[in-house]
Amino acid sequence: MGRRFFTPVLLVMLMASAIGLQALRERGGELPAGPDSVLYVRSPAALQRMALSYKSILADVYWIRAVQLYGDTRLGRRADRSFSLLHPLLELTITLDPYFGVAYQFGALFLAEAPPGGPGRPDLAIKLLQRGIEAKPDDWRLYQATGFVHYWSNQDYAAAADWFGRASRLPGAPTWMGPLAAVTLAEGGNRKASRLLWRQIQEGAADDWFRNEADRRLKQLDAMDQIDLLQNVVATFTAKQGHAPAAWADLVRAGYLRGTIVDPTGAPYRLDGSTVSLDPKSRLLPLPKEGARP
Amino acid sequence: MRSLRTIGTVAVSVFRESVRDKVLYNLVAFAVLLMAASYLIGQLTAGQDIKIIKDLGLAAIATFGLMIAVFIGIGLVWKEVERRSIYSLLSKPLSRAEFILGKYCGLGLTLAVNVAVMVVAWYVVLAYMATTVPPEVRAGWTTPATDLGMLRAVGLILVELMLVTAIALFFSTFSSPFLSAGFTLGLWVVGHFNADLKNFEAVVDSRAAGWFAHGLYYVLPNFAAFDIKQQVVYAQAVPAGYLATTALYGGVYIALLLTASVAVFSRRDFK
Amino acid sequence: MDAIRTEALTKHYSVGFWRPRPYLALEGLTLSVGQGEVFGFLGPNGAGKTTTLKLLMQLIYPTSGTAQILGAPVGSADVKRKIGYLPENPYFYDHLTAEELLEYFASLFGYGAAERRQRASRLLDEVGIGAERRLQLRKFSKGMLQRVGIAQALINDPEVVFFDEPMSGLDPLGRREIRQLILRLRDRGCTVFFSSHVLSDAEALCSRVAIVARGRLVASGPLSEILAFQVHGWELVMSHVPVAVLECALKDGRVAKALPLGPDRYALDLPLGTPPERLLADLRSAGAELVSLNPLRETLEDYFVRQVAGARSDRGLE
Repeated sequence: MGRRFFTPVLLVMLMASAIGLQALRERGGELPAGPDSVLYVRSPAALQRMALSYKSILADVYWIRAVQLYGDTRLGRRADRSFSLLHPLLELTITLDPYFGVAYQFGALFLAEAPPGGPGRPDLAIKLLQRGIEAKPDDWRLYQATGFVHYWSNQDYAAAADWFGRASRLPGAPTWMGPLAAVTLAEGGNRKASRLLWRQIQEGAADDWFRNEADRRLKQLDAMDQIDLLQNVVATFTAKQGHAPAAWADLVRAGYLRGTIVDPTGAPYRLDGSTVSLDPKSRLLPLPKEGARP
Repeated sequence: MRSLRTIGTVAVSVFRESVRDKVLYNLVAFAVLLMAASYLIGQLTAGQDIKIIKDLGLAAIATFGLMIAVFIGIGLVWKEVERRSIYSLLSKPLSRAEFILGKYCGLGLTLAVNVAVMVVAWYVVLAYMATTVPPEVRAGWTTPATDLGMLRAVGLILVELMLVTAIALFFSTFSSPFLSAGFTLGLWVVGHFNADLKNFEAVVDSRAAGWFAHGLYYVLPNFAAFDIKQQVVYAQAVPAGYLATTALYGGVYIALLLTASVAVFSRRDFK
Repeated sequence: MDAIRTEALTKHYSVGFWRPRPYLALEGLTLSVGQGEVFGFLGPNGAGKTTTLKLLMQLIYPTSGTAQILGAPVGSADVKRKIGYLPENPYFYDHLTAEELLEYFASLFGYGAAERRQRASRLLDEVGIGAERRLQLRKFSKGMLQRVGIAQALINDPEVVFFDEPMSGLDPLGRREIRQLILRLRDRGCTVFFSSHVLSDAEALCSRVAIVARGRLVASGPLSEILAFQVHGWELVMSHVPVAVLECALKDGRVAKALPLGPDRYALDLPLGTPPERLLADLRSAGAELVSLNPLRETLEDYFVRQVAGARSDRGLE
């Protein structure tokens, strides 16, 4: 009877050993980390040739890599924090598939995002969008994205308004594009314009990522409003009492507030002397700069 | 005509052999690939799930079809000669030309069925994905998920596969499977670099080399022309004239290869 | 009109890639086979038998010479309608069942579905394939494949049938069945052309034979007229032979040699002059018992060896 079970038992034991060794090796740690992102083909022209008839699917693959690179770096999962491969990956993507709209739009946003959330390269973002516009001169979204980069990263509200205006004249552009251009021109940097911009994006967003981002931005604006309000209260208290409040409890006791105020993410605001600020761990940091007009 | 009936008989026999050799099980792999991908891709990308499934579907249809065309095509004739089943077959009222054409049509039929089933599965996956997406997002798409216009790309892919089959069959009439596979795949790869051949003069100084390359451009099969995958995914206009000319080019090239195959095969001694 | 006719049929191959040398597979074969004959095509391995059959089936093309079947050139569609062919060591499509194979071949002749099924069924019965006909051919033994091969050769009720080694792979019972089948074919008026290296098959069936060795025809005609195969003696095996009678027969030359096979049992070689019946009667009346009586003749292999040696010396003289 023992002989019948010999082979299956041997197989199970060997398999278990193999799995165990694998686990052991992994616990022993990785090999010394080489550059953790490698791009074997950097030349877009070469890649185009090598792609044969698989250009679209390869573009998709590079796009997925770009998104993962961006996400992983933001979440701190990579050794290289500089997003250095982001632009090359995006370039390869759009060379293989020049009509890949989302790659231009999101890619530009990823590139423009200030550190530590991104590489902070609005110049590259605009170059990317320019190539997109060459390929798809009628896509209003690309013009809007360009305006967007000018607005947020360059604080160049005149340029932003110009691009929004151009977007509004293209076929298929939403009706709020024109008014947005006007508001930007008049009150660029103003929270009202920004709020309008983000709310439009939130409503029209084609997928969760963009919607969540818009949501976060709107919360930031709300937080900024709340901070201003609280700052006023603190100033009033200081003027009345002759000294800054030590904690929120002082303000509550004095009847200025009804309870601890929390930011839109639920974290309480901090009070340092007479400065109100967000909890340092808040998701809403860094808050956007209130732009000075050029 | 009796000839057509004979060719049809051989063709059906080839198809039956493919089915019994479980070639069509590749469809299972295809379906699994698509469904796994559609699930995973949703987790990975920022938008564009549908585009990626469209691209993946077309690429997989083309690739699975290419594998079948090459790996069955190279054995179509060689296997019969090597195993000598051709001895009894050719003693029946079947000319060598009818044999070649029948084999070709049989593999063509297998490919057509394979591609058709893959297309149906692919559209089903696309339709399903479209239902899981909220209506505002769906409104933002420039083309519907189950855009029937993509069938134009599938049509050209099928012509391309028939051309690859004809090449594989041609080599199979006189060459071993290993060499046939190498030549066929080699031609397929080279056929995508036609643009480079055409512009060779710009790269190389020699006029003669330029003329030679230019000549090769016209003579070698131009596979890049059959690739309109990118265009149909973005629902761009592909002129009917282009489709017709390219399909006709494929058809003429196939006829050329079949004629050559029949010529080579008719002169062979079977050792 | 002859069933089969060849005129100076010749096949040279070029052997070698860099400096091709001619290899002579068949040289100047001229023979004719009448309708309704059973014709044996004999020779050792490598003699050119299979080459000849392949030339007749147009699987290979002749270097020179012509071949005709039923008055028409080989390979024409009309000819193919009227012939059947069993190749040596046949291989068929092993994913098909025996029934499917026969129906496939039948469909190449243009028969309707019902007729195909009926023909397949009848022929499988005739060659002795029973319920196995629904199994895929990859599960068939060599003998069963041989029977299927014979069946497919007859699917169109041919006028001329070509068998290459029809008995190969068959057990004695199978050989007997196929012999009977060939005789039935002859009775139906079919011409049977079969190649073999087994002499006894040819003896039992053929009206005429042709013998090839090293690509050349060395003899043809009725087997009995080919001198070498005539009987040149007898072997008589008897038991309980009285020794005295035996010594007497040895002395007077009626028995050329006596080989003891065991206690009281002897194998006696009788020269041609001795009528075996007489000696048998004498020995039996002396109390001996008959075990067996066989004609002695040269084997086909002995004949070939002689012929080959002869052919070599002929060439030496030229």
